[in-house]
Amino acid sequence: MGGFNAGLLRFTRSTLASAALVAIVAALAMAYTSGGGASRDSLIAEMLSNFILVLGLQVFIGNTGVLSFGHMAFAQIAAYATAVVGIPLAAKAKSLPDIPFGLESIHYGPLGATLFAVLVTVIIGGIFGIAVSRASGLAPTMITLAALYVVEQLVKNWKELTRGAGGLSGIPRLEGNGWLWASAFLALVIAHFFQETRIGRFAIATREDELAAPALGIRLFSSRWAAWTVSMGLIALGGSLRAQSLGSVNPKQFTLDSGILILVMLVVGGMRSISGAVLGTVLITAGNELFRQLGDPQRLNIERFPDLFLGGTMLLVMLLRPGGLLGDRDLAGWLRRRMYRRPPPSGETPQQGVNTLIATDIEVRFGGFVALDGAGLTVRPGEVVGLIGPNGAGKTTLFNVITGIVHEQVGRVTLGEHDLSDTKPVEIARTGLARTFQNLRLFKNLSVRENVALTALVAARHRPNRVRPDADTLLDDAGLTEWADRQAGTLDYGNQRRLELARAAALAPDFLLLDEPTSGMSDQESLAMVESVRSVAARVGAGVLVIDHDLGFITRISDHIVVLNEGRVLAEGTPGEVRSNPLVAAAYLGSSA
Amino acid sequence: MLEVDSITTRYGAITALHDASLEVHQGELVALVGPNGAGKTTLLNTVAGLLRPATGSVRFDGNDITGSDPARLVRAGLALVPEHRRIFKDLTVEENLRLGGSTASPGDRRARLDEAAELFPVLRSKWTTSAGFLSGGEAQQLAVARALMSNPRLLLLDEPTLGLAPTMVDVVFDLLQRLREQGRTLLVVEQNATRALGLADRGYLLRTGRIIATGTGAELAADTSLFESFIGGEA
Amino acid sequence: MTKLIQTIVDGLGVGSTYALLALGISLIFGVMHLVNFAHGELITVGAYTSYFFFLHGGSWWWMPLVIIGSAVLASVATELIAFRWVRNSSPFTLLLTSFALERLSHAVWQIAVSPKQRAFPKPAWVFNQFKIASVSFEVMDVVTIAVTALTLALTAVVFKRTLFGISVRGAAEDFDAARLMGVRANRVISGAFAFAGFLAGVAATLILMRSPAAEPSMGSDWLLKAVIAAVIGGLGSFSGAVVGGLVLGLLETLTRAYLPEVAVGWDKYSTAIVFVLIAIFFVVRPDGIFKVSHAERV
Repeated sequence: MGGFNAGLLRFTRSTLASAALVAIVAALAMAYTSGGGASRDSLIAEMLSNFILVLGLQVFIGNTGVLSFGHMAFAQIAAYATAVVGIPLAAKAKSLPDIPFGLESIHYGPLGATLFAVLVTVIIGGIFGIAVSRASGLAPTMITLAALYVVEQLVKNWKELTRGAGGLSGIPRLEGNGWLWASAFLALVIAHFFQETRIGRFAIATREDELAAPALGIRLFSSRWAAWTVSMGLIALGGSLRAQSLGSVNPKQFTLDSGILILVMLVVGGMRSISGAVLGTVLITAGNELFRQLGDPQRLNIERFPDLFLGGTMLLVMLLRPGGLLGDRDLAGWLRRRMYRRPPPSGETPQQGVNTLIATDIEVRFGGFVALDGAGLTVRPGEVVGLIGPNGAGKTTLFNVITGIVHEQVGRVTLGEHDLSDTKPVEIARTGLARTFQNLRLFKNLSVRENVALTALVAARHRPNRVRPDADTLLDDAGLTEWADRQAGTLDYGNQRRLELARAAALAPDFLLLDEPTSGMSDQESLAMVESVRSVAARVGAGVLVIDHDLGFITRISDHIVVLNEGRVLAEGTPGEVRSNPLVAAAYLGSSA
Repeated sequence: MLEVDSITTRYGAITALHDASLEVHQGELVALVGPNGAGKTTLLNTVAGLLRPATGSVRFDGNDITGSDPARLVRAGLALVPEHRRIFKDLTVEENLRLGGSTASPGDRRARLDEAAELFPVLRSKWTTSAGFLSGGEAQQLAVARALMSNPRLLLLDEPTLGLAPTMVDVVFDLLQRLREQGRTLLVVEQNATRALGLADRGYLLRTGRIIATGTGAELAADTSLFESFIGGEA
Repeated sequence: MTKLIQTIVDGLGVGSTYALLALGISLIFGVMHLVNFAHGELITVGAYTSYFFFLHGGSWWWMPLVIIGSAVLASVATELIAFRWVRNSSPFTLLLTSFALERLSHAVWQIAVSPKQRAFPKPAWVFNQFKIASVSFEVMDVVTIAVTALTLALTAVVFKRTLFGISVRGAAEDFDAARLMGVRANRVISGAFAFAGFLAGVAATLILMRSPAAEPSMGSDWLLKAVIAAVIGGLGSFSGAVVGGLVLGLLETLTRAYLPEVAVGWDKYSTAIVFVLIAIFFVVRPDGIFKVSHAERV
């Protein structure tokens, strides 16, 4: 099993990147604190706990692209959980005489209290995350906002457990910043490693394109929920340590405002990059402190000067560099590329699929408009079928029916013995149909190789019985090797099309479904595309169903052509037969009635 | 009246139009035909200011209008009936028309509303209906009527018969004929190539972003290479 | 029964303020897909402006005009200074830009005036009560509901009858098609901001009559509720925003009034319960009550 070694490599890489980042921050911190003063140490302590909170936020927002305002609610839960088990029993009996759940006799040391807080928060947060991850659009953001209100009110009013507005004090304080440094390092390793795991990669895919990810077999819910739950763990760690470094908790510690401070740190550095999160934390902490000192009564005497700095910095970053200072630049990503070794070719010969794709008597209506009126087609294993027809003939609708985006009112789509009718795109992709998109839906911020490798991860899990070529082999076939480390969004158009093809093939599908692979290409480019499609399809033993307007391309590539007109099959046969069919000419040019 | 001089238009990395040139003279009906994806819509959108060409220029009445704001072009007398009609489905028929006449003075707008009601009896009966409830043919007439509200001297129409029943296609072609008789200049993109060329004074044939043939409507329609260009010539 | 009527009137009072704010948020979202977190700051602007005028002998007779005017100007200014430059960015960037403005606004008031509350006089009649058939009402509740109803009616007229209103609705549905009709992008967006500012100004007037004080972060709580109301209604839907606002207001007052009867001792958790309900609502209907189909197109 190479799985364990690969996992170890990923872990080593995460640790290395984390160690390097911690070392840089530690060097800066030492330079700063060597000036002396306990207040400098406490600033470092504050920065470190912020640092962990920022990483917690990064794991969710950075990887899923869903904005959350409510993370601080869970830091709050963790802080109180730490307090109720961390405060010594005698003190607790005084401040919380009516504490429920038998907590009056429970006391843990710092490590135990931290673990307890993380556990409680991950459980509560995890349950809450189900709602966040199920919703779409702006709803998840609103749900996190609701969490903030709910927790705030609970903390203020559940006096038996929290002592209300006054808060709780007497939590044993941590000696020095050693624990915080160790935890920051741990948090970094977790955040880095999460990005290396399969589910982490999937979360990133959903961030990059909410539509393409399911079409490649990636479920939105599970990857989002995983990111949420891991981020809960880190947030809890940050919240618990904050409580232990201050020695007290109160309802004002983790408000929307403090959440925004954390959010600004993340966004300024670049939410997609962990190195960015680190940079943002250091810069904002330093800037905040600088402005606080400048605003000191002895100097400019401006109260709340740091708030101006925060708002101003965030506005400037949004106007000038919306991706954050680092954008997608990331130490771990750089390491990943540097340490990449191409795996030896497997030498496996591709096997052809055994399933036939059949759509029969498909009928689709949109309101009163009949888009498909009994159309159907058959694609045999390894066969290339071209689907053509004039504008509005129903080609795209038929394609969408097969890929599960549109549901047919009448008819059936089957792949071998699998009935694909009423099946979601995710399931269809896992069953063996991989599609491309007419208007290109690449994971633009990821490298070319990562685009393909990500889908290969889906194949490893859900297409175990197929031969699965590695990413580089597919890139070779598609003619993309020299751009493997480029950001996908920076490729020229023809290469983006080819990359989408390679990415779909990495799913090791029975059939590739290509939606206008040559649209916008010159004659020469589309000629080259014929070769790319053939070699990529042959590599994974897949058949092909292709829609295209360029009939020259379709004629060259197809074994069999189906012509649609007005929602029905007008003609089908070999390219030669179709070309000489007078009905086809009439359909294309319009009758001169 | 309209001179398009070797424009190239890109969408991000896609070059949809290569070095295309064409002219439309006062009072002409010019048809632009070609297979799907040839760049016809891109050409119209570039002329109308929705897209900015990477190179080349567009002149209208002798003035350079390359990359002008569409809102300015409407005031200059150039209107586009866009692909898929893009009528405002949440607005009523009347509101669609009023918006179409947004550049006119209130008095002119009222007069043209009356004209539209007369010219399109179908619309008059649905005056206060949400446009989302119109049939395809009605929606197409609304799209044309809406563009006419700005009283354009040059009207660009993108696939005005797309998705229409055959009888409605006739209605639209009649409408084109009538507009020409009113003395308006028209540039029409049409999938129904034979029929459009039959009506047109002149035509242009577009393929993979390039203009590959031009001539009178009859010449182009008779050209045997027309179908070949749609099907994609054997290389 | 008496209690129910009073609770409903209270709820409509709060809810109609939410509705006015939510309508502004939905309007801006419609034309440029921005969830404007700086919208609540317009209330703050109105509050400080009236505070300054009251320092120099202001009167509630004309103060509403000052508040509304300042909110309109501030709203248009945010568009000119910030949103215009990120108009074509992702909704995420737009949202964070508005967020940054909100933060800046807090900081500016804190620094320029004071982090502490600044109070000014309230109209004498605000908390007067009157009775109709043994049910007693507060004058201000009735004023709030009446003013909101009038404002909403005016809004309906503007959006149904005027060319400006039709342009905004058209642009919200299909911006490019509106440009093809001769609608100028800058003008329609500035206009939408101005109108949203007007609505926020009316809301601010109602809020300030009841609690006449200026505070740097006073806009945020209202804003968050209004955003939630707008999302409940379905962002981009104007009637949805109004319904969302009223529903939220009613929900809040009803839980506060009746929770103690249903479950003793739970009244202090009324807000928490409302927000749990909201969270559940979003799981069931993520697109709100009135789903706006074309909002997703861009």
